[in-house]
Amino acid sequence: MHPTLLRTTVLVTAVLAMFAVGCAKKGAVPVTPPPAGNTTTTPTTPNSGNTGGTTTNPTTPGGTQGTATVADLKTIFFALDSYSIDGSAQADLDANAKLLRANTNLRVTIEGHCDERGTVEYNLALGQKRADAVRDYLLNAGVTAGQIATLTKGKEFPAVDGHDEAAWAKNRRAEFK
Amino acid sequence: MRRRAPIATLLTLFAVTAFACTALADDVRLETRSGASSRMPLRVTSLTPAGDREAGTTSVQADEVLAADLQHSASFDVARAWLAAPQTATPVAEVGGKWTLRGSTIRLSGEVREYPGKQVILAKEYSGPASKWRDVVHRFADDVVLQFTGEPGIAASRIAFIVQDGRNKELWVMDSDGWDPRPLTADRSVAQSPSWSPDGSLLLFTSYRGGGGPQIWVLSPETRKPFLMSGRQGLNTGGMYAPDGSGIVCTLGMDGNAEVYRLDARGGAPQRLTSHRGIDTSPCWAPTGREIAFTSDRSGVPQVHVMDADGGNVRRLTYDVSYTDSPAWSPRGDRIAFVVRTDAGFDIWTCRSDGSNTTRVVAGGSNENPRWSPDGRHLIFSSDRDGTRSLWVTDLDGAAPRKLDIGGRKAMSPAWSPRMGATSAR
Repeated sequence: MHPTLLRTTVLVTAVLAMFAVGCAKKGAVPVTPPPAGNTTTTPTTPNSGNTGGTTTNPTTPGGTQGTATVADLKTIFFALDSYSIDGSAQADLDANAKLLRANTNLRVTIEGHCDERGTVEYNLALGQKRADAVRDYLLNAGVTAGQIATLTKGKEFPAVDGHDEAAWAKNRRAEFK
Repeated sequence: MRRRAPIATLLTLFAVTAFACTALADDVRLETRSGASSRMPLRVTSLTPAGDREAGTTSVQADEVLAADLQHSASFDVARAWLAAPQTATPVAEVGGKWTLRGSTIRLSGEVREYPGKQVILAKEYSGPASKWRDVVHRFADDVVLQFTGEPGIAASRIAFIVQDGRNKELWVMDSDGWDPRPLTADRSVAQSPSWSPDGSLLLFTSYRGGGGPQIWVLSPETRKPFLMSGRQGLNTGGMYAPDGSGIVCTLGMDGNAEVYRLDARGGAPQRLTSHRGIDTSPCWAPTGREIAFTSDRSGVPQVHVMDADGGNVRRLTYDVSYTDSPAWSPRGDRIAFVVRTDAGFDIWTCRSDGSNTTRVVAGGSNENPRWSPDGRHLIFSSDRDGTRSLWVTDLDGAAPRKLDIGGRKAMSPAWSPRMGATSAR
């Protein structure tokens, strides 16, 4: 594993653990994330397989000039026809929020994508909804508005070519660029 | 029979002119509505070549173009006199004429004769540059349809569409029979959703050519220079001119959510027509300009809705089927085509404009973006029914759709032009 990626993973796991309890899954959108700088210590989630719960908050909420890049930000995935942020997406977004708060010099564009099962027109709107939902979550998590732009890519740029659920699931996403 | 309407800008380019116009017998008329097809047996005879020696070469090709135009009009069941196949039914008339090539000019003296009496019921002359001889044939074919149905055919129209090459999607145009496909953009970007202006002189399209998100652009197929129509913050997609050309409907995200807006004809003065936290998109004018069909997921999944042109009186189009999108209002006004999601993708359905009489018209594979021909008798759509996504036409008569041959290219998002030469949309 790439060193940066490894570091991110550790960081992400810690953050995930911290926020796990505060983030009960909600069906409706928009989902309200935990407040920025939430320092509640929680037990580790079963699948984290790491030392979560013992880490202290590595950055101050005010943010710093960090060395992270957009490549360190996780792609967020969505359910069919949905632009709501579900449980695992929340965890990934919390990690992304943490990273963005710690690297206020990092400017990102969130690109919303869809699988091929909607029409061209509808998917262009749905992709924007997904990008906007991710942006709103990050803003609620304390990320500075100036760091984030959004864009829809509809179904025009699939990550994976294929016409089955495995491919579709990978294509319903919000990417950080 | 009336004189032809004044010929508009695009057609004057081809200098196709009608000289004489005679109708010696009472018109035989067919009842037509959107999609209704009842075919009359018609016999097409070889055109007689005259003038330069090369006339014999193009006349044989013109025979085929004429026969195909008449067959594809869905008004006739065409028998080609030059084929040995026996006529299955007694034709109502015989079509033929003289094909004269002199230098760079082609002249077609078209004739329709009653059968078996052979009395001339239509005689008309057409001419144009020899390089545009197919347009000369299309004009005659459209007049033959007019003679029998009371409304001109649609052979002299164009189809705009999108060609995918790798990750790029460019805007293309071709003749209505699939002839001469040619690119209008070379942006190495993604274009989608072309839509013609009512006079056929301009094309609106959605494109990423600006470098950010989707924007609405407009270009003339003659100059091919795109101009930005709407590049507002967020979404700018799916523009369509009002039937009188006075404005545009489209989807914008400028207020933070996908809503339907009306713009003026230059893309300014946005007027918001929908207001809902869900997605409102894919607006389409009724040919009267008084109503707009659009897609909204306000009730859960996407459904076609209809509203008044000012945004009031919103109602769902039909409850007979669920997950409906891509509304297209027939130029006759009586029916609306749309897609319905299936396990395989989409089928194409139509219903009356009040939502009744829902009918599935295309199934099998994934079928998208239905658009009407200017006479409302055909739908063009994209489909992957034979493996590669390409363009198909249904005559809405229950027969299998036919594929337009565009050299095996991956094609989608078609838009049928109005009749070239018509002064206004119906």
